[in-house]
Amino acid sequence: MTAAVEHDQVYAIAEEVFSAMIDGEPGYLRPWDGELPVAAEPLVAWVDVHGELAGRAAVTTDLETAHELTRALLGMGADEPVGPEDLNDAFGEVANVVGGNVKALLPTQGSLSLPVVATVLPEVPGTSLTHELRLDWRGRSIVVVVWLFQ
Amino acid sequence: MRALVIDDSRTMRRIVSAALEELGFTTLQAGDGQQALDLLESGEEVDLACIDWNMPVMDGLTFVTRVRANSAWRDITLMMVTTESEHGQIVRALAAGAHEYLIKPFTPDAIRDKLDLLGLIPAEEHV
Repeated sequence: MTAAVEHDQVYAIAEEVFSAMIDGEPGYLRPWDGELPVAAEPLVAWVDVHGELAGRAAVTTDLETAHELTRALLGMGADEPVGPEDLNDAFGEVANVVGGNVKALLPTQGSLSLPVVATVLPEVPGTSLTHELRLDWRGRSIVVVVWLFQ
Repeated sequence: MRALVIDDSRTMRRIVSAALEELGFTTLQAGDGQQALDLLESGEEVDLACIDWNMPVMDGLTFVTRVRANSAWRDITLMMVTTESEHGQIVRALAAGAHEYLIKPFTPDAIRDKLDLLGLIPAEEHV
């Protein structure tokens, strides 16, 4: 997916996902400035693209930010508790929409896996990182990554 | 009017349902195409189905094909709501019988605009 997908296109996808689905308006997502903090409780959601060009799109953040994303997506109150099912489903859907739109940029058609949410992203042998977007969402760090499977 | 929202993501079902309810729809939900077919076969009547593409058990394209094969359901308006945004996929869905196609991510206004095109916005909702 290296040549087929440009860094700016992935950023534009992330921006659109956050402005349309999460914030309701643009302006809350920007490039992260400086070193990324180490997440005490990391959480990652990803989808795989299968086909002639195969790869993976993942969204990584910390658990607290994933809770905030879930509240924003579901229109929940600031102090409303987030259950594990809602957390997995909402955070997975963010990765699903990002991955689906990355897939659409590819020159060949492929299929998209269902989203997976875990604390660690499993390694795939022969994978090369093609894009890493370090993002700042309301002061919280979120990383969007796209890999190419070789 | 009644709408059936079909998506394996409960988050997305809630988002789509909330947007439809704002427009005056009553909503039902199903987690995949087979669950949606089961609802229709049990006698539930809907005017609109909003359908995700990638779902376990039965995907959205298969659901569209199955609905279009049954003349009893010919009046149901079918709208794909999906991340599948390649031109070829859109053509496949429309050829199978979908009336409209909405690509995720979307805003509530985008849903409203699509339903307006389909003539499904109640008159009192028009500004």
